[in-house]
Amino acid sequence: MLAWILRGLAQGRATTAYPARAEQPPAGFHGPVELRDPDAGPAPAELALICPTGAIAVSAAGAVELEHRRCIRCGECVRAAPERFAFARRHELAIGGPSRSLADQAGSLERSIHIRHVDTGSDGSEEWEIQALWNPYYDIQRLGFFLTSSPRHADILLVTGPVTGPMRGPLERTRELMPEPKAVVAAGTDACSGGLAGAGGLTAGGVDRVLPVDVYVPGSPPSPIALLDGLLLAAGMPRFEGRPR
Amino acid sequence: MTPRPRQRPRPSLATLPEHLHAQREPAPGGELRLRVNLLGFERATGLLRAAGARFVTLLLARTPEPALLATFALRGDLVTLEAPTERDRPVVYGSLGAGWPAARWAEAELVEREGVQPVGYESERRLTAPDADLLDGRLQGLDVFQLPFGPVRSGIFEAIQFLIETGGENVPAIETRPFFKHRGLEARFEGRDPASAVHVAERVAGIASVAHASAFAHAVERALGVRPPVQAERWRAVHAELERIACHLDVVAKQAETTALSVGQARFQLLKEQIMGLRAQLCGSRFGRGVVVPGGVRAPGAGLGLAELAAALDRFEADFERDRRLFLGTASMLDRLIGSGRLPRELVEEYGGVGPVARGSGLSIDARHERPYGEYRRLGLRIVTERAGDAMARVAVRLREIAESLRILRQALDHLARGNGSLAAPLPRAGTGAAFGWAEAPQGELVTWVELRDGRVHRVRIASPSLRNWALFDHAFPKDVLTDFAFIEHSFGLSVAGADR
Repeated sequence: MLAWILRGLAQGRATTAYPARAEQPPAGFHGPVELRDPDAGPAPAELALICPTGAIAVSAAGAVELEHRRCIRCGECVRAAPERFAFARRHELAIGGPSRSLADQAGSLERSIHIRHVDTGSDGSEEWEIQALWNPYYDIQRLGFFLTSSPRHADILLVTGPVTGPMRGPLERTRELMPEPKAVVAAGTDACSGGLAGAGGLTAGGVDRVLPVDVYVPGSPPSPIALLDGLLLAAGMPRFEGRPR
Repeated sequence: MTPRPRQRPRPSLATLPEHLHAQREPAPGGELRLRVNLLGFERATGLLRAAGARFVTLLLARTPEPALLATFALRGDLVTLEAPTERDRPVVYGSLGAGWPAARWAEAELVEREGVQPVGYESERRLTAPDADLLDGRLQGLDVFQLPFGPVRSGIFEAIQFLIETGGENVPAIETRPFFKHRGLEARFEGRDPASAVHVAERVAGIASVAHASAFAHAVERALGVRPPVQAERWRAVHAELERIACHLDVVAKQAETTALSVGQARFQLLKEQIMGLRAQLCGSRFGRGVVVPGGVRAPGAGLGLAELAAALDRFEADFERDRRLFLGTASMLDRLIGSGRLPRELVEEYGGVGPVARGSGLSIDARHERPYGEYRRLGLRIVTERAGDAMARVAVRLREIAESLRILRQALDHLARGNGSLAAPLPRAGTGAAFGWAEAPQGELVTWVELRDGRVHRVRIASPSLRNWALFDHAFPKDVLTDFAFIEHSFGLSVAGADR
């Protein structure tokens, strides 16, 4: 055991200073897709068809709109129309939903926020990135976030997956058992909109078809920093100052 | 004279009866298709089993003609029995799962989803429509109770349920209940062109995106007779081995977490984070997504030079080696793993187990070696096996495989540096065909069936290593107690999403 302790100490501090300091992904990272130049001229209507999840809409006048909550970062649009679309070199893309009860009353929580996770049909990569938040590099506990196994103690319900039939009941029951105020965070594009699994007979097509969602964190999967940013937004805590708005 | 140990029959095609050979159908290389009729299906399956074949999957095909396919691995070949079916008539044949546990779940899926009617098939509950509140009332003995564990569990776990029967310590019975996460992804491939369908493949089991994309791409390429360029095959191997290292480190970190070995857990998590970071630097995705496309690869290593990657792997290996030695010298850790969840070799064979689960029980099953594909035909891969069949053996296989992956990664990087040429071959625009493709995912052998019509994906069926191994989990508690549960579960290292699809 002593050998492990010495090994740990010898490695020094491994933890990021985020959100006090920036975390920039490497060049070429598949961050959020952004519209490069809104004045690039009218877009052809077919442009919308290159997106496999229907995240791109083109109006009759040729104006392009991006629905981030549908985007799986596959890059089809970036390759087909690089003059219009690009991967942004950043992690953060948390989108606030209509329900904001936890963020508004967060002062009372005093940096002790408990998270309950429910998987409703993710592809499994979201779980990896959430687990990574508890590794020494991201170390989310330094910010006062803890995992709880009881929904009775939970402030944030972190949901992955598009909500499959058999998981709908367990998801609803978990939320009911949580005390007020509570927030629901949809982690990953599948949870935000259904992603490639889509809405249909087998999945609801996103958490907000079943429960009110406070924060959407799109991404396929969202990186640990993107998830951390979404949790900070849900808890009403200060986020990284320099992030693009 | 000492009696000679009874020898296992050497699995071989030559031991198959003549009349099956006479029924050979043309098929892409490495595949053998034998035509039988539905009446003779069960019998032909029995012959293959007797010849030492390992069950892989059972499915209904639609291209070129509607047929029931049963696929087996037999000495470096993928052997498929193909029985034509008629469109509007029920598919009736002798049940395979009734006598062969390996075929049970695959057959249950076909019965429940596609309405086939195997004679002699029995099932106590619907496998593919799980109900979180359903107990089953068969209790063995006094003071025994049933504990439904999941689908929502404490911690960050994928949704699956285990119906645990226990008196508090011993676990007389356990029933694994998958399919809470069934998203119907196989249907989501349909109608897409192969380049767009690969996005779906990458999301079947997100932690094995590269393996799923590769198996899908291999199937498309084999169906259309396209050979991806050599440099593309090398890049696929690089990304696949990085994925394997990440998955194996994840298992080791979770084992350390389960014994509350905090520093060990932290160390292996950081090593995994290093690999995830390297993958993001290489291709923009921490999960290697977007690299493998049917025909080749796309932007596989834009962000990092080959020499830089090799140097980063050297630093990683030095770090990993020290942590590995510490791990293997930590008695509190080993005590929980040695002897836990023992799976005898015969049981794993009967259930068609694959991957580190099979290799931990002494079976040298690895698609990279059995039916080498892509760059693995040129890499001198050594198969790692352990004999004990316990949780320790499964973890030891993974620790040794990380070292082996690093070794062949260096070979592949060396080949890449000396090679050049294109990274993708064009696919015919309106190709039609059907084939299996395979890859060794970190969880085990993955086999994907793809049908293409006029350049579009018509049908996909995925034989996931996770589903095949989950079937063994019910038998992994022979002498173990409830508190061993987490150790045994992590030692399997499976993906629920991959199993449920």
